[in-house]
Amino acid sequence: MTTIIRTMLTGLFRDMHTMVWTIVFPVAMLLGLGLYIQDGSYSERLLSGVLTTNILFGSAMVTAFYVMSHRNRGIYKLLRVTPFSTIAFIGSVTAARTVLALIVSCVVVCMSILVLGVKLSALSLLLMVIILLLSTVCFTAIGFIAANLSKDESNVNMISNVMCFPMILTSEAFYSLQHAPEWVSVVGRLLPFHYFVEAMGIAVQHPVTAGEILKPVGVLFGFTILCLTVAKVTFRWDSEGGIIRNSKKRALSNEGA
Amino acid sequence: MKTMIQVDGLVKKYGSRTVVKGLDLTIEQGEVLAIIGPNGAGKSTTLDMILGLKQPDNGTIRYWCEDPMRYIGVQLQSTPFFPGFTALENMRMFAAFYGLRLKDIELFTQLQACGLGEMAKTDAARLSGGQQKRLAIAMTLLHKPKLIFLDEPTAALDPRARREVRQLVQSLAQSGTTVVFTSHDMEEVQKLASRIVMICEGSILASGTAEELLAEHGASSLEDLYSALTDRQFT
Repeated sequence: MTTIIRTMLTGLFRDMHTMVWTIVFPVAMLLGLGLYIQDGSYSERLLSGVLTTNILFGSAMVTAFYVMSHRNRGIYKLLRVTPFSTIAFIGSVTAARTVLALIVSCVVVCMSILVLGVKLSALSLLLMVIILLLSTVCFTAIGFIAANLSKDESNVNMISNVMCFPMILTSEAFYSLQHAPEWVSVVGRLLPFHYFVEAMGIAVQHPVTAGEILKPVGVLFGFTILCLTVAKVTFRWDSEGGIIRNSKKRALSNEGA
Repeated sequence: MKTMIQVDGLVKKYGSRTVVKGLDLTIEQGEVLAIIGPNGAGKSTTLDMILGLKQPDNGTIRYWCEDPMRYIGVQLQSTPFFPGFTALENMRMFAAFYGLRLKDIELFTQLQACGLGEMAKTDAARLSGGQQKRLAIAMTLLHKPKLIFLDEPTAALDPRARREVRQLVQSLAQSGTTVVFTSHDMEEVQKLASRIVMICEGSILASGTAEELLAEHGASSLEDLYSALTDRQFT
């Protein structure tokens, strides 16, 4: 598994497109908006917003395209005739994405401290790492679900947009929803991104208390388990037909029905 | 000769359409078996069921060992590579899928054996069609399989690339690896196969060596025999 994760990371770091959109873009957004607004409390919200949206796009949308591309190229079909398990492969993809997300988040946090003067305690940083790890797994699983429900590239684009944009628009990642209609908050509370933003918002606050963060982290954990389960159940080996649920063991069964 | 795979009464249906109709097939150790037939004959579906990619609706498939997938190599019709990865990185990934921890020099040696030494650091997607097929076969051979399945290994290749792939298959057969391949090229089938199975509309029309089939049906070439048998099936 380590060989697979290492090779995947090598590929990710060599890809200019990934580098620009995953590292340069969030840093430029953080510094651009932070220096333009120059407000200490908004800098904290901005840090939280940039970290969370970066995970949402980097994990959910990128994974959706990645999985779709692998599946349509027949990589999963070939993977299925090897002894390597699906869960191990999904785990490897998630782990590679998590490492990348942590590196990007580290760069974003350093920039916010050095340039925008955001103050973060050791507890804040620890909580942020835990939340980032949990959310990366959750949103990578959502990326798998989007790919599993899609037939082709245009389909995956539409489905991942349908999944991700309501999460951003009904969250308080960049702005307060205090004056928004009640239904916006209600919809938001049904989606995992709301709890991710809430948890991250609490973690970057100064001072932070671990007690407040338990509820959003707990709900996010629940969403993570749910999304992983749905991703596993709906996983498709190839682009033909519907969702195949048979396990590797059943596939290797040598008896017909 | 040891039987590696024994298929009995295999049936596959897609809705109301039966695409494989009670097919019986054996794959013997050390043979080069060509499975031929028109498009939609049921060749790929049969291979997919043997490989566990599709569940048969009826019939049995018996393998020579408990965990056959560890000893089977598969080259699909498409050449599936990880996008953005070099030939060497793709080899490394697939080696890991088989639980092999091979050093880069070992992977490089395998690439060289398939004539791809100079292309090790080239993006797999940028390789020519022939090079991609050879890379796919090189990946298939990483775990030193006892049996390999090649689904149309020379399809859409130029004559030079075709010859290179054929030479690779011949060298595999000479080394004692059992090879099962599908093809539409009768000249290739005659050159490579030690036994031929002709499938049409989900059933086996004929089976034997090229010489046996030609003698049995009084045909002058495999192409003529193929046309005669498949025409009879369709009319």
